[in-house]
Amino acid sequence: MMKSFGKMEYCWWALIGITLFNTFLGEKFNSSALVSILVALTVMCKGLMIIDHFMELRHAHRYLRLLMRAYLIFFPSLIMVTTLL
Amino acid sequence: MNSEPPKAPLGIFPSSWSELRAGRIPGNIPIWVGILSELTEFGIFFVAYFIAKYHYPEAFSQGPQSVSTLAGVTNTLILLSSSYFIAKAMINIRLDNRAKCEVYLWLTLACGCLYLLVKSGEFYWNHQQGFRTSSSEFFTVYYYMTFNHFLHVGWAACAVLWVIFRVRRGAYSAKQHSGLEALAMYWHMIDLMWILIFPLLYVLR
Repeated sequence: MMKSFGKMEYCWWALIGITLFNTFLGEKFNSSALVSILVALTVMCKGLMIIDHFMELRHAHRYLRLLMRAYLIFFPSLIMVTTLL
Repeated sequence: MNSEPPKAPLGIFPSSWSELRAGRIPGNIPIWVGILSELTEFGIFFVAYFIAKYHYPEAFSQGPQSVSTLAGVTNTLILLSSSYFIAKAMINIRLDNRAKCEVYLWLTLACGCLYLLVKSGEFYWNHQQGFRTSSSEFFTVYYYMTFNHFLHVGWAACAVLWVIFRVRRGAYSAKQHSGLEALAMYWHMIDLMWILIFPLLYVLR
């Protein structure tokens, strides 16, 4: 359980900020390798924030935590792989 | 007949897998079976997306420029907020504050309904533009992924309504709230899937 309420609000605003940054990247720049890598990293970051802070898996069963983290690292990584193809 | 659920471990798994050694399981084991099944299903969609994008780069470059980015961003913000609200509902039930927990659950439900409205509007707008599942390879993947996600939000919203009813009946407390936590886990999973879908279908070109 999160100890301070403020931390959760901070997390919520960070997620909103990252979403708007992602959209800005997609709208303002042509899809270059750099944009794709930045988008993939921000998606990874958002996913891990939700897993740790909203789902509270940081201190949960280690295999559940590892599985969820691996999922949210693997699929955004495929975005980076496609830029190399 | 004894209707009490068995409390002792079955003894068929390694002890390192036990909650005592490996950590707490939020919600309950059945919901995690469901969540991992859903993750597998969406994982197959994502793999299909990358294979299709590799074979039809033109369609996947044009496609995201045709769909409404505004609708996509709005729905992302709505789902992120809904995840925040359900996390707050969890905090409040742990403090035994049922009234506040219920308020946050209503906010979660409102976000779910708003998401369904925005998505329906987006589907209608696409229809008016003449986009169909067969318009291009991008739209086949787009409709398959987004409509599937739409259904998940729909039935999870019904589950939120059921949990609100249970909270009002006093079914959950600071000591016993695994049902509410199971729903919260499922709702966060739906949010996570949208977080992956959004850049693939709306941002990357």
